[in-house]
Amino acid sequence: MALYQRIPYQTADRQKLDENESDQEEDALVNDYKEQAHFDEGLEDGGGSYGGSGGQYQDMQAQLAAAATPLEYQATLETKFASYDNYCNLFHYILNSEGPVDLEPPSPFWAWDVIDEFIYQFESFCRYRHRVARNPNAAQNSTGDDDFALLRDNPNTWGCYSVLNVLYSLIQRSEITSQLAAMKENTDPSLVAGDYGSRPLYRMLGYFSIIGLLRVHCLLGDFSLALKTLDDIELNRKAMFARVMAAHFTTYYYVGFCYMMMRRYADAIKMFSHILVYVSRTKNFQKNNQGQFDSITKKNDQMYALVAICVAFNPTKLDDTIHTALREKYGDTLTRLQRGGPEALPIFEDLFRSACPKFISPTPPDFSSPALNVDPVDHHTAIFMDEVRNTLYNPTVRSYLKLYTTMDLNKLASFLEIGKEELRGWLLVNKQRTRQVRWSEGGLLDGEVVLGGELDYAVQGDLIHVSEAKVGRRLVDWYLRNLARTY
Amino acid sequence: MGIAFDHAPERPEHIDAILNGLDRYNPETTTVFQDYVSQQCEHRTYDCYANLALLKLYQFNPHLLRDEPVTNILTKALTVFPSPDFSLCTHLLPSYILSPPSSSNNPSSNPTPGDAPLSEAVQKLTILNNLLSGAKYREFWQTLDKDDLYADLIADVGGFEELMRVRIAVTVGQSCREVERGVLEGWLGLTGAPFEHFVREVCGWGVDDTRGAKGMVVIPINKENEAKGTVVKEDVKFEQFGRVVRRAYEQPA
Repeated sequence: MALYQRIPYQTADRQKLDENESDQEEDALVNDYKEQAHFDEGLEDGGGSYGGSGGQYQDMQAQLAAAATPLEYQATLETKFASYDNYCNLFHYILNSEGPVDLEPPSPFWAWDVIDEFIYQFESFCRYRHRVARNPNAAQNSTGDDDFALLRDNPNTWGCYSVLNVLYSLIQRSEITSQLAAMKENTDPSLVAGDYGSRPLYRMLGYFSIIGLLRVHCLLGDFSLALKTLDDIELNRKAMFARVMAAHFTTYYYVGFCYMMMRRYADAIKMFSHILVYVSRTKNFQKNNQGQFDSITKKNDQMYALVAICVAFNPTKLDDTIHTALREKYGDTLTRLQRGGPEALPIFEDLFRSACPKFISPTPPDFSSPALNVDPVDHHTAIFMDEVRNTLYNPTVRSYLKLYTTMDLNKLASFLEIGKEELRGWLLVNKQRTRQVRWSEGGLLDGEVVLGGELDYAVQGDLIHVSEAKVGRRLVDWYLRNLARTY
Repeated sequence: MGIAFDHAPERPEHIDAILNGLDRYNPETTTVFQDYVSQQCEHRTYDCYANLALLKLYQFNPHLLRDEPVTNILTKALTVFPSPDFSLCTHLLPSYILSPPSSSNNPSSNPTPGDAPLSEAVQKLTILNNLLSGAKYREFWQTLDKDDLYADLIADVGGFEELMRVRIAVTVGQSCREVERGVLEGWLGLTGAPFEHFVREVCGWGVDDTRGAKGMVVIPINKENEAKGTVVKEDVKFEQFGRVVRRAYEQPA
């Protein structure tokens, strides 16, 4: 039974049970990773042995390697322009030569690295351009070059249409969607792969372009389309991305983030928890690769921040590993988030800003009116904070109602020192927010409305009836674990 | 089985074809989507996923942006609160759209974000959205009445007020079993005979005049306002014991 083919959730508590089923899957994943880590090491030992015969071959290899290598932090604008041209040439060569080209990627993870770096450069270019347009003077003073004029006069460099064009073309050329569909139906993907898609290079580029699209759409603030993009990919251990740690990690971060922005907090927590547990279990094997390890540590912290936000919106029982780590990292912060009220506002905002993707605006900014070029991060944060503000008193409501089975509206209003009308509002808001869409099967955008928490209530005139979903004792889990230990 | 976010029952085939292909990025389809928005306003249907595609076209091609479809999309999104649709739409708008307007005594020649008509409209609609999301329904109706701009903004959206009332009634029906008539009148922005008609005919609720100061509206029990305590029991599936059973076969004692 695959990890995600589960029966629909009825309550939050079922999750725990389902997770046991996936234990096996996770073990297998971790083992896979260990093998891969060793494989990686072996490869490094034999590094530098690529010396091909012809000079042309070496040239190509150098180009391929360059495309997957990060630009220096201090890279000038000219370097960035040149890098864009290089990508255009490379992708043009790969996509528009007569028939599929015969390339040997310099490393097994090259396809991921090149898509990752391509999007990263697009992202950082857009952000830089935006910053320059907002503060024309700062740009001139710091570098001495006139970046402002250069950016203004080259609006088509790193254009969003060309970036999307590359990703979509790679997907189409490789017939990756048909291949994935065939795999889903357990038929042979090579029958539909075509000339291009049957080659590993094209297949991998196409596949990782789908993940790339997820990321680009999310950076542009289109969260539903981002999730829709992954329709063909099944999030389970058989997925190809699970073979490349960075891809695995990136996918779950963006899927989780998109769910959070669609207010599907339970789904978001599920995504973050999955990958955080996986990372914590494979931590020792990643230390071999320092660069990757650093970037994963950073994203790891960001995801814990997002989990903290999601848990504040949607109190739920977390996996033990996650729970402990979250307490360590955000103990006090988490308590304050969960208490709600106006004091929590700045904490929500700080966490969100520190953990959100670096949003970009797809079009060249308005260079003639700096004030119009508001940082996209500010824009998305503002929208997010509206939702935080609207639901700020949910924790307060919950904390009181938990203590009673019936409660008089007037009495509660006087406890809280607010008016009756306001309290009615709080009750309605909290009730609405306990219902959220939750994935059960099908595409990532599918789902059904379920009751999120254990607490439920109804208002009858001035009387609040409170009910609780109690959890019966759960023995099977305990029984099985002990059995596995002793037997 | 729930309903997927990208699903809309009344979506015409040609729209579906565009959404599923690369034409969703083609600036030439902008007019098709714009017509579809007008059609939604007229026929009281709603298709958030398609509307987001139009906003994305605007995002990529700012010169094509027209104010009216944008405000109509946002107004339509209000009618499905408390879903996140309104937020999802604003995420795709230009980043300056929510910036506060410049104060009028600032003679700076540079345009500031909040001055443009679209910014003003979006910010006004955001106020409504926040009132609705915060369940401040009485204030929502008061705000809506106070400003003439709102009348313009909702003019295109057929049956806006009625759609809002139905939506508010749904959220009330989820949370309440009985509401004082005075309170509900405020929430629905209705009084007198229209109020009674709406409550009785549209919602199917009862009004008990004998209780309370102005009477009590009685909402029949439904799944949501029942608030019945439950005990969650463990579901045990045979597969969970698979490992144990297998071991028993593999290693006979």
